[in-house]
Amino acid sequence: MSGLHLAGIDAATLARAGLGLAAAVVVLYVLKLRRRPIAVPFAALWQRVLRDRDATTLFSQLKRLLSLLLQLALVALMLGALGDPRSAAVSVTGRHLVVLVDASASMKATDVSQPRGEEGPRRTRLDVAKERLRQTIRGLSGNDRMLIAALDSTVTPLSTMTGDVGELERALDAVRAVDVRASYAAGLRYALDSLRGLPNPEVVVASDGALGEATDGRGPVDLGSAKLSYVKVGDSSSSRNVAVTGLSVRRYPLDKSRYEVLVEITNTMDDAATVELELVGDGRITDIVKLSLGARETTTRFYPNLSGADRTLEARVRLADGAFDDLPADDRAFALLPERRRARVQVVTRGNMYLDAALLLDEYLEVVPVEPDAYPAEGAFDVTIFDGVAPPVAAGSGGVLYLAPPSDEHTPFKLGARLTSDVATPLGFDELDDRHPLVRYLSLGEVNVGRARELEAVEKKDATVGRSLKGTLLLAGRRKGKPFVALGFDVRDSDLPLRVAWPLFVMNVIAHFLDEDTGYISSFRTGEVWSIPAAASEKTATLTLPDGAECLIPVKDGRAVYLGQEAGLYGLSLGGERSGFAANLSDPAESAITPEPELKVGETRAGELEGFTVGARRELWVYFLVAVLVVSALEWLTYHRRVTV
Amino acid sequence: MTTRTLRGLWVAVCAVAFAVLAYLYWRRVWLAPPGAFVWIREGVRHELLAPRMLGTALLAPWFVGVLAWSLADLPWQQRLLSVLLRSGFALLLGLGLARPVRATESDRVALVVLVDVSDSVADEAIADAQRVVNDAFAAGRPDDLVKVVTFAERPRLVEATSPDGRAAPPTLVRHARSEAAARDDVGAGTNLQAALQLAYGLFPPGYLRRALVVSDGLETDGDVLAEANRARQYGVSIHAIPYRREPPAEVAVRELVLPERVKVGETFEVRADVFATRAARAKMRLYQGEALNGLDGVRDVELEPGANSVVWKSVVRLPGEVTYALELAEVSADRFTENNRIATTIDVPGRPQILYVEDAPEYGGPLARALTAQQYEVDLRPPSGFPTSLKELERYDLVILSDVPRERFPASAQTLVESYVRDLGGGFLFAGGENGYGLGGWQDTPLARVLPVRMDAERMNRTPSVAMALVLDHSGSMTGLPMEMAKKAAKATLDVLAGDDLVSVVVFDATPETVVKMQPVRNRTRIRSLISQVQPAGGTEIFPALDRAYGLLNVTEARKKHVILLTDGKAPSGGIRELVSQMIAESITVTSVGLGSEVDEQLLRTIAEVGGGRYHHAPDPNSLPRIFTKETERIARAAAVEEWFPVVQTDHASFLKRLDVRSAPLLHGYVTTRLKPPPAVQLLANADTDEPILARWRVGTGWVLAWTTDVKTRWATEWVGWSGWEKFWGQLVREHMRTKDRHELELRAELRSGILHASVDAFTADERFDNQLDSRLTITGPLPGSDKRVVPMRQTAPGRYEVEVPLEKHGSFLLRAEHVRELEDGTLRPVAVSRGHVSNPYPREYASFKTDEATLERLSLVGGGSFAPDGLARVVDPAGERIPSHGELWSRAVMAAIAVFLMDLLLRRVRLFDRSFRVARARASARGGSKRLARG
Repeated sequence: MSGLHLAGIDAATLARAGLGLAAAVVVLYVLKLRRRPIAVPFAALWQRVLRDRDATTLFSQLKRLLSLLLQLALVALMLGALGDPRSAAVSVTGRHLVVLVDASASMKATDVSQPRGEEGPRRTRLDVAKERLRQTIRGLSGNDRMLIAALDSTVTPLSTMTGDVGELERALDAVRAVDVRASYAAGLRYALDSLRGLPNPEVVVASDGALGEATDGRGPVDLGSAKLSYVKVGDSSSSRNVAVTGLSVRRYPLDKSRYEVLVEITNTMDDAATVELELVGDGRITDIVKLSLGARETTTRFYPNLSGADRTLEARVRLADGAFDDLPADDRAFALLPERRRARVQVVTRGNMYLDAALLLDEYLEVVPVEPDAYPAEGAFDVTIFDGVAPPVAAGSGGVLYLAPPSDEHTPFKLGARLTSDVATPLGFDELDDRHPLVRYLSLGEVNVGRARELEAVEKKDATVGRSLKGTLLLAGRRKGKPFVALGFDVRDSDLPLRVAWPLFVMNVIAHFLDEDTGYISSFRTGEVWSIPAAASEKTATLTLPDGAECLIPVKDGRAVYLGQEAGLYGLSLGGERSGFAANLSDPAESAITPEPELKVGETRAGELEGFTVGARRELWVYFLVAVLVVSALEWLTYHRRVTV
Repeated sequence: MTTRTLRGLWVAVCAVAFAVLAYLYWRRVWLAPPGAFVWIREGVRHELLAPRMLGTALLAPWFVGVLAWSLADLPWQQRLLSVLLRSGFALLLGLGLARPVRATESDRVALVVLVDVSDSVADEAIADAQRVVNDAFAAGRPDDLVKVVTFAERPRLVEATSPDGRAAPPTLVRHARSEAAARDDVGAGTNLQAALQLAYGLFPPGYLRRALVVSDGLETDGDVLAEANRARQYGVSIHAIPYRREPPAEVAVRELVLPERVKVGETFEVRADVFATRAARAKMRLYQGEALNGLDGVRDVELEPGANSVVWKSVVRLPGEVTYALELAEVSADRFTENNRIATTIDVPGRPQILYVEDAPEYGGPLARALTAQQYEVDLRPPSGFPTSLKELERYDLVILSDVPRERFPASAQTLVESYVRDLGGGFLFAGGENGYGLGGWQDTPLARVLPVRMDAERMNRTPSVAMALVLDHSGSMTGLPMEMAKKAAKATLDVLAGDDLVSVVVFDATPETVVKMQPVRNRTRIRSLISQVQPAGGTEIFPALDRAYGLLNVTEARKKHVILLTDGKAPSGGIRELVSQMIAESITVTSVGLGSEVDEQLLRTIAEVGGGRYHHAPDPNSLPRIFTKETERIARAAAVEEWFPVVQTDHASFLKRLDVRSAPLLHGYVTTRLKPPPAVQLLANADTDEPILARWRVGTGWVLAWTTDVKTRWATEWVGWSGWEKFWGQLVREHMRTKDRHELELRAELRSGILHASVDAFTADERFDNQLDSRLTITGPLPGSDKRVVPMRQTAPGRYEVEVPLEKHGSFLLRAEHVRELEDGTLRPVAVSRGHVSNPYPREYASFKTDEATLERLSLVGGGSFAPDGLARVVDPAGERIPSHGELWSRAVMAAIAVFLMDLLLRRVRLFDRSFRVARARASARGGSKRLARG
């Protein structure tokens, strides 16, 4: 120990108080208890008393002094405790420990011994880990410092690097397991950052060991001189778990009224198991099936060609024998079907029967025709089609489709040369970006165009979707988060309206604007940073968590950003609009809850956590008070036996 | 009762009391659940953190028990009080040890200043940050706390102390690259999220938590926006001050964009996106592999501030992996060289492979040359060389089967072709000729099923299909079996021909005789009778007989005119060749049959060759009926039209767009077929009859085309010389060949924080989701190099396969995903492939230098702090905010214990009770004195 400092009452105050108390004690000792007069019938006794007087007087004085000193010592100890003496903050001999408490989903497993006869929720691996760490905290020696951090999909320190038992215990209590896989590398890197420059660094991982490789985008983690210790929890002999490791739903690209569901079930046990799978749509059971799974088998079930109004889907799995498995967290998964909402389409035209006919094809469209002079119509629209006009785009117009724009004064692109068809080089789509969603399922290669205007992209990200040898005819892009598509010719100057491709093209454009692309994924995976589509004009959005709590999250480049760690159904409010999405663990590795017997970082194998004597506390005042108690108990006996007075 | 008994009773009572207390302690304290010792008093939460220390109350029986042996001279009341005080003293100390705490509130501020010292930050900006740090130490109140974390690829806590031992502003310095990072070549970086997480661990309890981020907002690892609301959740307010210094002079190549697909020999554009913070000059070198780009290799460019786009032309001459690298040199204003080079690798497929199967490969020249000129690799083979497995056939992008008779193309090969088209998406062109379609006996074959045309062609006009003249030698040498067999053979032809077909029989010896005039075959009975009457006689003169047959056919109208000449002897050959030449000019073909060993084989061969027919040698007369039947069948089913006709386009097709078929020369023959119902489409037709010349339809994922004329100099003789011949075939093949490697699925690849995210959407031909594929992604790179990693892709949604792989190294990576399906028998069938590439050229730290204020603004917005505050007063101002903290109360218990201790001491030293003995003794003294006086 290099030195002490006082964390409680300062030394000067203590000194003053000590002087006062000492004086009080001395004064009390100066007082002499008046003794009772006792009549002694035998005078010879006095002779004996008088004979030993010299010796007893001296002994009596010594006893009196000893008694005084004892009382003063007791006072000193108590004052010393009030001073809360601590060893100096930096010690060359103390250890510095960063304790990473695994808070991943597998730590919710209940395959640990349960308290006998106790009712209430079953004890989890995390509970056991906390129990062991609590003992460790109380076993910290005077010079040790510890930091408690929760290790989930990222790392969250919950205390400072401290020797304060109370702070560490409160930090430990705050660790909560979430539905993610632990990010081992992130935790270790944080621990090493926190231990940088500190003597005797040690990383303690309290976990079931299902942490994978300690590597990330910056390569494998190098522990350097830090020691690695492993507090293992979980029982490898009794882990029972079946899991929904995948649930998703997608609408078919062509027939968007129908959709297909994927459910992946995994038996993580070493024995075969029969499980019962339930598929629930909008709270009603859609399907129940019993499945037999071999040891460590994963099976995928598809529900094709579903239709109906199901919006929320939930898959539940349980052991068919009615027994609970050890990890309920992965027994349910959620998915949200992309809603087919009625899209509002504003058609700014002087009349185009081909366009009208194409828009009649989709019953989910609410078409509002508008004369060019009357633009914009009232209300907000998802899509605006400018047919032969190109006025300034009003707010609430949604995505804009330009058909044969007459000028580029207000368009997000430039108009180039006038193109005409001739016998030698007929005008049409000579090159098409087959991968672009606008031309999906279309055969535009045979379209003949009489005349057109070349379209010129203004921004680098604008996509040339179709072009003739003479110039671009179909252009797509995005301005301030709003998409636009431009067709460089009047469809009446071509044979496009006579083809099936024309209504499909219009539908593709609308689907593109509505983001009804098949790229929609019905659920996010927990533990990842979610980029949720959102209006680019907003800077923040309000996210409603599965438990109903709300939080503010940032929006950037048309995406709301959130690190999701809980499975369930979420809501997103943005500029008055609400949308929803689901999130699932969907991680077979995390559902395989059999604990790992050893923990490694590269070639370094973690050792046992050692050197903690359970019960020893590092606050000196505790020892001072205990000493006071012991001494006062003994002094009580000596006083009453007149050993001290 | 004796004293001993009393003491025993006393001890027993104390022991019972101890037992009761211990039991209560065990049940109520030791076994109490966590949180049992929590109580709210006047709205304030109190708690005992270590309630088990209340066990000090168990000392009370000890204090009482000792009294049994007490020698202290104290009245019993005082003893009782003393026991109570001493027990209270122990209990108070126990209470202190039990660590009572209560929630208190504090407005002290702990501020952690997070300073970005990454490479993208200018030195001047770090000097600005130093001033912010100094201000932070000056701005707060004395009991506030300031800590400083600098961060680049990882964060560090930096501390300094003043001479008086107090915390002082540290000096900001850039981080030296860690040895491990340098060894792993992971490069520089910025991780704002990690810095914020480190800060969480620096806030002591009982302090308001404030983080001040001083940064350019450009992060290469982590996601600070995702951390923003988490920080708020942990009670940390985030304020942000963006660096607003002009970024250092820097030029960075950000991207090298190549087309998705590059073809060998085709010129394309390579676009380089170069970012410059200030106007600069640079020399750019574009490398293709190890050498400078051939078309355009070196340029001196003037770069404007901001994004610059530089476009280069290039061409790839050889297929395979091609790495393009762009290097900047002699940059006028540049700080880092790491970002002056970028490389991207593409996989250039070789020329399309065409398998051209020709019955007579020596006639395959015109089409093979045309295709080669159009940049195709042509593999010209005879039918016997046709691949025997689908895997071998998979190499080809289109298969042409030209003029091959059915008997030379086994059924197994036909099945292979069907699988090749249906499952692998290959293109197949079936070309006609004298062995094509019905002529080759292709009716009712597996291959006929996949063709878009039918071969049981009906007459498109009233013109008889076939007019046949049988010229039979009835010289004396034919006497006996030969004559009978010849007659039988002639009769057999009648069974093969249709009723509308025309037949004539000319017999000859020295002179010809028309036994059966040209008449429809439906008169079979009469014709048979006439043939039966033929008797052998005389010598052998072929010319007059052939001439007679020519005369008969020449005046007959039929689409196919044919002569079968049968002879068993030698005859003068004068004029025969010329005659036959004249016949063929009139589209009259001649087949010769030599019976026995005495024939002039040379003459008969010449007749057949010149006459466009076949020569058959029949050593045994019994074979004559079979030969005649076969020959007639060939002619009858041929339904071939050998006449000049123009071609007309009957439907749209992209490959015909810039070809004026109307200007094409005439074709000279085709095989009559009939278009199958839609979706079969007729593209080209005989302008006169509207019969199909070219038809197509889709079969599975591929195309099948029927070309009913030939691709050789027989029927297409004029087309071979047409200027559009090469272009026609080039465009036709390009549109119908397998354009993608098998079925190619799009691979989306993205690099985020050093992790490659790859995904593929798989759809079936009917646009349903293609599920349960076994997909594996092969990552090759960094290139040039041969490091390969194969990782499985996991199906995460209907039709979607995904994988995430960390890419630790910098460079260009080629991606190729193989999608296979496991069949019921356990074999794996390839379904599709996906190709892509991803470039991880250099640490992203060197890619951007302009402060990302949007990120910092949103960070502070969600973090509940201020963005670009004027001063730090607002940052360190508690603004009425208070934070709950645990107030330790144990010291109060100890103070109370001291007070009790003093009281206990006082009780020992001052007799408070039983003071009456003084009065009693005084009275007694008074009584004794009076007695003594009385006695005295």
